[in-house]
Amino acid sequence: MSRINKNVVLALLTLTSSAFLLFQLYYYKHYLSTKNGAGLSKSKGSRIGFDSTQWRAVKKFIMLTSNQNVPVFLIDPLVLELINKNFEQVKNTSQGSISQCTFFCVPRDFTAFALQYHLWKNEEGWFRVAENMGFQCLKIESKDPRLDGIDSLSGTEIPLHYICKLATHAIHLVVFHERSGNYLWHGHLRLKEHIDRKFVPFRKLQFGRYPGAFDRPELQQVTLDGLEVLIPKDPMHFVEEVPHSRFIECRYKEARAFFQQYLDDNTVEAMAFRKSAKELLQLAAKTLNKLGVPFWLSSGTCLGWYRQCNIIPYSKDVDLGIFIRDYKSDIILAFQDAGLPLKHKFGKVEDSLELSFQGKDDVKLDIFFFYEETDHVWNGGTQAKTGKKFKYLFPKFTLCWTEFVDMKVRVPCETLEYIEANYGKTWKIPVKTWDWKRSPPNVQPNGIWPISEWDEVIQLY
Amino acid sequence: MDDWKPSPLIKPSGARKKRSWYLTWKYKLTNQRALRRFCQTGAVVFLLVTVIVNIKLILDTRRAISEANEDPEPEQDYDEVLGRLEPPRRRGSGPRRVLDVEVYSSRSKVYVAVDGTTVLEDEAREQGRGIHVIVLNQATGHVMAKRVFDTYSPHEDEAMVLFLNMVAPGRVLICTVKDEGSFHLKDTAKALLRSLGSQAGPALGWRDTWAFVGRKGGPVLGEKHSKSPALSSWGDPVLLKTDVPLSSAEEAECHWADTELNRRRRRFCSKVEGYGSVCSCKDPTPIEFSPDPLPDNKVLKVPVAVIAGNRPNYLYRMLRSLLSAQGVSPQMITVFIDGYYEEPMDVVALFGLRGIQHTPISIKNARVSQHYKASLTATFNLFPEAKFAVVLEEDLDIAVDFFSFLSQSIHLLEEDDSLYCISAWNDQGYEHTAEDPALLYRVETMPGLGWVLRRSLYKEELEPKWPTPEKLWDWDMWMRMPEQRRGRECIIPDVSRSYHFGIVGLNMNGYFHEAYFKKHKFNTVPGVQLRNVDSLKKEAYEVEVHRLLSEAEVLDHSKNPCEDSFLPDTEGHTYVAFIRMEKDDDFHHLDPACQVPPYLGPGCAWQPPGPMEIVSEEEPLPGGGGPGFPLLSEEATLSHPNFLGATPKGGGSPRSRRTDMRPPPGPCGAGPGSESNLFIDCPEGLENRPNLEGLDFFLGWNAALRVGLALTQETAVPNPWTGPTGAHMLTQTHSDTLRHWTRPPLSILFVQISKAG
Repeated sequence: MSRINKNVVLALLTLTSSAFLLFQLYYYKHYLSTKNGAGLSKSKGSRIGFDSTQWRAVKKFIMLTSNQNVPVFLIDPLVLELINKNFEQVKNTSQGSISQCTFFCVPRDFTAFALQYHLWKNEEGWFRVAENMGFQCLKIESKDPRLDGIDSLSGTEIPLHYICKLATHAIHLVVFHERSGNYLWHGHLRLKEHIDRKFVPFRKLQFGRYPGAFDRPELQQVTLDGLEVLIPKDPMHFVEEVPHSRFIECRYKEARAFFQQYLDDNTVEAMAFRKSAKELLQLAAKTLNKLGVPFWLSSGTCLGWYRQCNIIPYSKDVDLGIFIRDYKSDIILAFQDAGLPLKHKFGKVEDSLELSFQGKDDVKLDIFFFYEETDHVWNGGTQAKTGKKFKYLFPKFTLCWTEFVDMKVRVPCETLEYIEANYGKTWKIPVKTWDWKRSPPNVQPNGIWPISEWDEVIQLY
Repeated sequence: MDDWKPSPLIKPSGARKKRSWYLTWKYKLTNQRALRRFCQTGAVVFLLVTVIVNIKLILDTRRAISEANEDPEPEQDYDEVLGRLEPPRRRGSGPRRVLDVEVYSSRSKVYVAVDGTTVLEDEAREQGRGIHVIVLNQATGHVMAKRVFDTYSPHEDEAMVLFLNMVAPGRVLICTVKDEGSFHLKDTAKALLRSLGSQAGPALGWRDTWAFVGRKGGPVLGEKHSKSPALSSWGDPVLLKTDVPLSSAEEAECHWADTELNRRRRRFCSKVEGYGSVCSCKDPTPIEFSPDPLPDNKVLKVPVAVIAGNRPNYLYRMLRSLLSAQGVSPQMITVFIDGYYEEPMDVVALFGLRGIQHTPISIKNARVSQHYKASLTATFNLFPEAKFAVVLEEDLDIAVDFFSFLSQSIHLLEEDDSLYCISAWNDQGYEHTAEDPALLYRVETMPGLGWVLRRSLYKEELEPKWPTPEKLWDWDMWMRMPEQRRGRECIIPDVSRSYHFGIVGLNMNGYFHEAYFKKHKFNTVPGVQLRNVDSLKKEAYEVEVHRLLSEAEVLDHSKNPCEDSFLPDTEGHTYVAFIRMEKDDDFHHLDPACQVPPYLGPGCAWQPPGPMEIVSEEEPLPGGGGPGFPLLSEEATLSHPNFLGATPKGGGSPRSRRTDMRPPPGPCGAGPGSESNLFIDCPEGLENRPNLEGLDFFLGWNAALRVGLALTQETAVPNPWTGPTGAHMLTQTHSDTLRHWTRPPLSILFVQISKAG
């Protein structure tokens, strides 16, 4: 009897599990088809045309923004790239009729727009209107970083991101805020606890993983797929900025603590130095930006930024770093044209290049060129008298934007490692006597220049 | 199957048949077993496959989900790092329907506790005298307003009546007396208390104690009273304990249409009380004003910083007038509140504006000046593209054409480096001295009270050396110091575009306010077209000043300036008088004479027969012309022996002395004068004073004077040597041009009489 029972049980089990399996297979197939939907419909993109959810969501959103006077422009890198590729078509369609949906019908989860917050007047009303139009909206707010630099101010929170979903497509509205230094800033998309993490696939967002900084773009009006939108005048420039747009704030709180401990130097000389150093930095930034050479704050200037969010008044010079791959031969000429004569030049492009320019009021601008190796980066130093070479080693780093003395400039994102390499663990303590050949913990002797090369590698003016 | 028995004991004799039987059986058996085994194995395999597919599916789905949403890494990126603490839950579950309220009244202490939470406690000595009033929300029990009316002093009962009338019906009112609250409690106030249902309130006597809880327009919920037995003693302390039933939230709220504006209004009205008709159910005052836009508004993009403290009623009045001004753009306005006060923030939110709170740093004047610094820095940070910022204070009324005035004049600040600011306030713009709203002046000071600051000036000059928190300086005094101002001048209108209504403040009290601010003229004409704005530029202005000087008639210097006839009683004529100045600050002998020393307060000591003003600090608008054209005056200069010794720090316009006026001018007793409160002393023995050498002059009594200009301005210098008491030394500087034109030691005075007094 028990044996029969066993068999029956087995058979029953088999039956249910096969039924289950069938159900799973069906479900899996269903799931696969939705997952691959993107890939599948990609090929039919143009055929889907103007019925696609994407296009409808974008259209509704643009209607909403123009009705409510929300100053937005398109920043979606994918669409901007498409625009760049099909620029002729963009021009043509602006007059003629549209036959094909090219830009907003490529199936994807998001379309990204930027909101120019400073031009925005009707902040309260539009959210409700959007919801009435069928959008499901999520607003992400945070405190205003522009107040961070000031002692103990706390304001109402500012909006950083809006995500508005219509059916399966979502519009990511990145709020761009104006910052001192003539650039636009957007915040970090940080989900608070109560926010539904499955609202949209946040991971696929193009903006918001980090705060970002962008040059203020000039805008132009175009007609894309029958929709009037504003886009950056130079879409490719904007797209190229995106991967390098990460922004880090100065550590204002720590800087305040530093000044509580060491007091700020507010003497007339200190203020005069700060003023001329700031002007020099502004001039250098302008010159290098014009050449398209990326640079970052290095050495003492970087330390000043990181430790006290200001120029160290006794540092006596402004230090910048540039990767040697970005070196351009007309740098020297450009600086001379800007009124900064070359003071000395050490090394050569292949090895240990360093340039110094003479600014006003005895403030010097030092530019160190950085050489990348597989596991570290270094820059060189040369002692003019002896021809001795030095090497300063740094861990590898990437570059981030920051704001420094009302300017948007780059610093190493891994600033602490960079500074600790250069100044050791005790960088927090101000040191007024610094020997560039001996004090840095990352200095290494690097041989000596052959006398035959001295004329080239040691040039003093 | 069960009856089959294998028999190992089968005999070999019948083995064959039996064996085949057995084999068949065995075969059958094995076959069946194999089948069964097969089936079993198949089932197990099948089950295993199911399990594997299941696992795979689960894994797949999980991966897909995490891919679609977030994997652990970005979770770190996107999640709020700071673990948000759950807001503490209210005690108990469900809403309480009854509040127990305790009210205590006595000579030296009052307190009010609601549900065991103390919402008012005052046992400070020499403070908080009078009737304390607390308003509770009848639905939530929240404190909506807390006031004290010192009804021992005059007029405070009027304020109380005003306040109680503004409280919405149904609110819970709590009153308690500290020390004395009846001396100036007049009949109107008593009648109001009676109408609230109070028995003891209307009969409140000298030094009685009294505690009252009642619903406005409803029943009295509790009252206790203790009569003072004698003039010299107080009533016994009374402690009133009573239950206050809460009503439902719907009853407590009005039924306004559901708009964005009304949502703000509802939020506001459920929190605070005492703002009158803003919370009226039937006919609430508007909170959006939509004034006419200005054509060609040059200040549309200029940020407006409103500097505020904890005077929410002032802020309310100020924001109303600001938002009603033509050409205002609300999104450019930021209100900076010094301290974490809720009520001012509620007012800001009511109007839908941006509010920023500032942790107070330092004390007194330094606190204000640190607040100014933080606010100005924040303003320029928030509006990085702005070249200018408008700075306002919470106790100013803003003229309807404030932005129009700025829009027409702001280009001067851009084009003329010799300008320090544009101010909406004329220190000398009294009712009888200012009359031309189209007229502008340049002055050598920084009047403040509604002014425009240039970004470059702030960022490059002022911010880096702003007084640090340990220096108890006034920010405005500091800004007027020659080190900061560096000879630059400000543009002001003849008729002020702002009006200072604040009576309570760090440097302000009722007497001073009445003496100085009350008589100031305030422009109410919209859309005034300013005249000859470009002639306010430095060069053009100098030319005009020279022209006026050359056309002026020299007064008879042999006369005593205190005589009526010193100034002819004419209109539209410019006069000039000269005084001898050996040094830049020689004028300042005059000031103490012309004005009342702060420690005495206005109205004390030397009252001349009639009103008169010394107006000594402005320049006329070139090309102004017409009747009542202002005159120039350098300064009236007189000295008085009493004052010279008495106060080394006096001088200048009354505003410059604000810091010296710490205690209210109590000893004086007498109230402010009836007509005007700036009086000039005409000292005896004037002729003998050495440094006037026969050029003495003075401004006639009874003549309402328009003393046009003065090329000098007082500048108060925080004196670092006298310690941090805020003492000031005053120095005065001259316009450069005028100085070389007049060749010191001779200075000049222009006087014009606009009308007979």
